[in-house]
Amino acid sequence: MSEILDEERLIEQILRAGTKSAADVEVFLSEGHSVNAELKRDLIGEAGESRSWGLGIRVISEGRIGASSTNDPARWKDCLQAALDAGKLATPQEWGGLPEKADVSRKLATFDPSLEVDVHVAHDLLREMLVGAEEHPADIVGGSAGLSTGSLTLANSNGVMYSREGTGVGISLETISGTSTGYEFGSSCFMDLDPVDVGRKAAFYAVHSVGGKEIADGTYDLVLSPVAVAELLGNVFVPALSGRNVGAGRSFLADRIGEECMPPGVSLYDDPFHGQRSTNWDSEGVLTRRLDFVQDGILKCFAYDLRTAYRYGTKSTGSAVRGGPGGAPSIGMHNLYLDGPRSETGEEPALYAHDLVGAHTANPVTGDFSVELSNASWIEGGNPGEPVRSAMLSGNVFSMLREISALGPESRSLGSMVLPSVRFNSQQIIGK
Amino acid sequence: MEDARYYDIRHVAGESTHVDCDNGVVESAGTSFYDVAVLRALGQKGWGVLTIDNYGERTEQEIRAYIKEALALASVTEEEVTLADAPSSILPMPSMKEDPSEVSLEEKCSLLGSIESAARMNGIKNTRARYSESVGTISFLDSSGNEYSYETGQSGYSVVAVAERNGLMQMGRESEHTILGFNLRNKEEKGREAGKRAIALLDAKPAKGGIMNAVLDQELAGVFAHEAVGHASEGDIVKEGASVLKGQIGQRIGSSAVSVVDDPTLPEFGFMPVDAEGVGVQRTEIIRDGILKAYLHNRQTLAAVGDGIAGHARAVGGDVPIVRMSNTFIENGDASMDELMDSVKNGILLKGSRGGQVDPGRGVFQFNAEYGYIIENGELAGMVRDVSLSGDILKTLHNIVLCGKDRKMNPGYCGKGGQSVPVSDGSPHLVLENAVVGGQNV
Repeated sequence: MSEILDEERLIEQILRAGTKSAADVEVFLSEGHSVNAELKRDLIGEAGESRSWGLGIRVISEGRIGASSTNDPARWKDCLQAALDAGKLATPQEWGGLPEKADVSRKLATFDPSLEVDVHVAHDLLREMLVGAEEHPADIVGGSAGLSTGSLTLANSNGVMYSREGTGVGISLETISGTSTGYEFGSSCFMDLDPVDVGRKAAFYAVHSVGGKEIADGTYDLVLSPVAVAELLGNVFVPALSGRNVGAGRSFLADRIGEECMPPGVSLYDDPFHGQRSTNWDSEGVLTRRLDFVQDGILKCFAYDLRTAYRYGTKSTGSAVRGGPGGAPSIGMHNLYLDGPRSETGEEPALYAHDLVGAHTANPVTGDFSVELSNASWIEGGNPGEPVRSAMLSGNVFSMLREISALGPESRSLGSMVLPSVRFNSQQIIGK
Repeated sequence: MEDARYYDIRHVAGESTHVDCDNGVVESAGTSFYDVAVLRALGQKGWGVLTIDNYGERTEQEIRAYIKEALALASVTEEEVTLADAPSSILPMPSMKEDPSEVSLEEKCSLLGSIESAARMNGIKNTRARYSESVGTISFLDSSGNEYSYETGQSGYSVVAVAERNGLMQMGRESEHTILGFNLRNKEEKGREAGKRAIALLDAKPAKGGIMNAVLDQELAGVFAHEAVGHASEGDIVKEGASVLKGQIGQRIGSSAVSVVDDPTLPEFGFMPVDAEGVGVQRTEIIRDGILKAYLHNRQTLAAVGDGIAGHARAVGGDVPIVRMSNTFIENGDASMDELMDSVKNGILLKGSRGGQVDPGRGVFQFNAEYGYIIENGELAGMVRDVSLSGDILKTLHNIVLCGKDRKMNPGYCGKGGQSVPVSDGSPHLVLENAVVGGQNV
């Protein structure tokens, strides 16, 4: 209890001191406690624990925005001064103020009181993954299990003081069989992961890819797993939805509102109330809401934080997330869903890829990319068939998304995205 | 409770500064503060690791309490960790021409702004330049009595220009990072290069994918050395059985034209005066004339795997040391650029890098050039865009048939295990036969 009081006192002190020099002051405080255990081959080689504390301060005066951060509570005055100094250098922009206090009482599922941040729990999760992995004859390369709990507090000089708590668990396992590699992972806010299944899948991917045949150059129908779809969306499509990139002329989607960018029936939306990153308020204290970026195939809107919204004469969409340099918020997604009519993606014959190598080298402006497929195989009747040794996929993310031919029946939660498998017809593959 | 077999503490504290200029506007500029330590202790089996934010100064009693906590964590470990003996020493830091922390933030903003505005020219729709700097102190001590403290200072910038014509967009990018001092002065030419490249790429054709002979420039061949050879030679990956180079020491894995080195003592962006375990750093020849000679190691992987030297452990503040590259390069051959072009005859010249990725267990890599040129009859023909290269590590090394004599190092950052560290990669221009080139048209 005393810690919470100390924290509130610190925040009030910063707000009081800050408002002497700046019109708007914002304080963002994060605390976390986490443990992890790491497998080296099939033995736990390392167990860790971390307690983190971070303070971000932002000040705004006459449209000049300055920010700084520190992890030393005793240095809050230096941090405030650094934010004020930063504000003096920023080019002034249109600014309509930080948000005021609103109702943020909606109950969201991001905290599991039964989740124990205990290294023995991490140990048990690893053991269970290894049990699952025994179902296929793969060697274990490594693995990880982590548990965390944390709290965030956002306060500003307009009277906002919001807090939220969250818990998290993450597991992963890496396997190999000869020169075929496999990897599977899972993450959740709750103790609801199935480590045995994660282990089983990690081993399956490695074993199933053994003895892959070459593939000839040509065009093939392609099914991408949710993991592979996330790579393409995250590296190209999501940045193109950022209001900052749109306003600055760096987004392929900039002038395409109202145009078809996915097939009819397909939607892409951010639902801040359902998923691992759920929150009622964004990193600047703006109320979050559902954002339908693509509705029935048509591009409808972009994502904005406060500064970008004021600059371009629009409203924040509640899309601010933390992670920018110097503790400043930037534009991001809470829980991004790709949705639409569902059907089997692997019923008709197609090439299937579980993951992609090198998606981050895609051209974020044009959407052009080339990647190697990972754990590629043929698929038919919903079942994985003959493995494919190596295949390079070349294309353009924006045109590919217009060629979606089916969304798989189930969605998978991958951090800030919830995605099905996706079938694309006639994609260009370079073999060996 | 038993004593620790070994412990070390690595404390990193300092300031990071950034400037972001976007289309003529100082979007943000400022300084933040960091202070974090990692304490590792070896219990009866493996490691217990504590990460402590805001470490500052601690008493001996507090440190003893932390060691006890770390040992409690280590009690769940199973792997029997042993550490190889490795000589401890520290090199002096290369001197800085101009200390970035002594340049005012105002001046940094104005210099970066002039690089950004140099990129703005007819046909350019957006320009953005970013500066980042990290200045701090790294302190290390271990239970064997080794103790070091040194100052670090990295700084660098990137400039990006986006050109647009009739709905078609292209991007040009330049960047430079260094540990040798402030590097924003007189760099307007770099901005102009980014702008001109973006415009030139509007007229470039999409590359035709397929298997062909290629000349790789120094930057892209450097990324190849890093992605395709460097990662697979990292001792932790070898130890865990996830490298195709496992068990290949003394074997021919490439053509005799290929020698690959990792050298943390070079005063390049990947320089380190001492490794993150207090071990003295040395040059390691990974491949000599096509023969695999050594892996890169930390003390644990050296003990477990052998064949190489420790001194390649690195860590970002707040994270555990793992085996990493530093300055990684392919050594010079003796071919001239004309000889390289003639030997290819018809193929492609690949230039610059948008990064890459490798699956060292499978031996498959992928990386992207920024642009390229078609080679016809040994001469450069048209410019092409969006060209990538992928392949099989063990096959590809045999296909490097000729190396030039113009090695150049390029600074960048490398990510592994969630840690991003400064590195440099380099190579002379070289010829890669039967390269798998990705492009839009097969």
